[in-house]
Amino acid sequence: MTYSILTLFDIILVATLLWLGWRLLSSEDIFKAVVLFISFGLLMALAWVRMRAPDVALAEAALGAGLTGPLFLAALRRMNRSHKGERRLDIDENRDGDHGKNSEPT
Amino acid sequence: MSWLHTLFALILLPAIAVGMIRILRGPTAADRMMTAQLFGTCGVAILLLLSAGMLNPVLIDIALVFALLAALATLTFIRRTWQGSGKNKHGYPLS
Amino acid sequence: MDILYHSGTLFIVIGVLFFLSGTVGLIRFPDIYTRLHALTKADNVGLGCVVCGLALQSGSWVLTVKLLLIWLLVLIASSASCHLIASSAMQKNIKPWTRP
Repeated sequence: MTYSILTLFDIILVATLLWLGWRLLSSEDIFKAVVLFISFGLLMALAWVRMRAPDVALAEAALGAGLTGPLFLAALRRMNRSHKGERRLDIDENRDGDHGKNSEPT
Repeated sequence: MSWLHTLFALILLPAIAVGMIRILRGPTAADRMMTAQLFGTCGVAILLLLSAGMLNPVLIDIALVFALLAALATLTFIRRTWQGSGKNKHGYPLS
Repeated sequence: MDILYHSGTLFIVIGVLFFLSGTVGLIRFPDIYTRLHALTKADNVGLGCVVCGLALQSGSWVLTVKLLLIWLLVLIASSASCHLIASSAMQKNIKPWTRP
């Protein structure tokens, strides 16, 4: 087995993927988890490229970065609207805006 | 001489790993989304450099798909997540 | 051929430096607008320099056109999303950072 620069590339890629997956699963804030998921899909496409499967990388790029990310973001808005006050969503400006809107008529 | 491109891709990969800090402690939601956009562009550059380093021209097509779909996440975030419920006195004024 | 290769390497080095400085700026800058500034420089100029270097080294017209198409798409995406982020941050009354 021969080592090259690509071996170091693989090591850094796998370490970043593992750390990212752990932070994504253990995050309390849902919006942060969605953004971490988008970056996870990007790095996963790079990992598929390194495993010499460019077709799977193409599908991962189209699905992970282009389709599920916007779907999750749109679903987050719906969830924010229907479950207001139950889940902790760390979109600070929205909460400030709602607070201002609620406190304005009183 | 293709190891040079691989070396450049190797230099760009820790830039992604270090930029993860801004996602973990971004004060506003737009900071996190901006970091994801930088990751997309950085990933395109890494894919282009790897396609020269691994001598595989197929990877340029993957980079093309990434560049085509990079705008979708940020635009959806702005129009649907960040801007939606904050109905200020101007309504939905984004020109 | 040789001078094309070496000038391409020079362009790639410049692009990688722009990417690294963009990441450092994204981490260290204090405000959303200044971070946006760092991000757009890394997007447009960094990827532009990398694409120019690879196009100089590629040696075939099809690859060059594909690379330039990638750069054009990233330019459109980056400028549109940066304009949207900045204008909607202004609407949310996020104050720009001033030197204390």
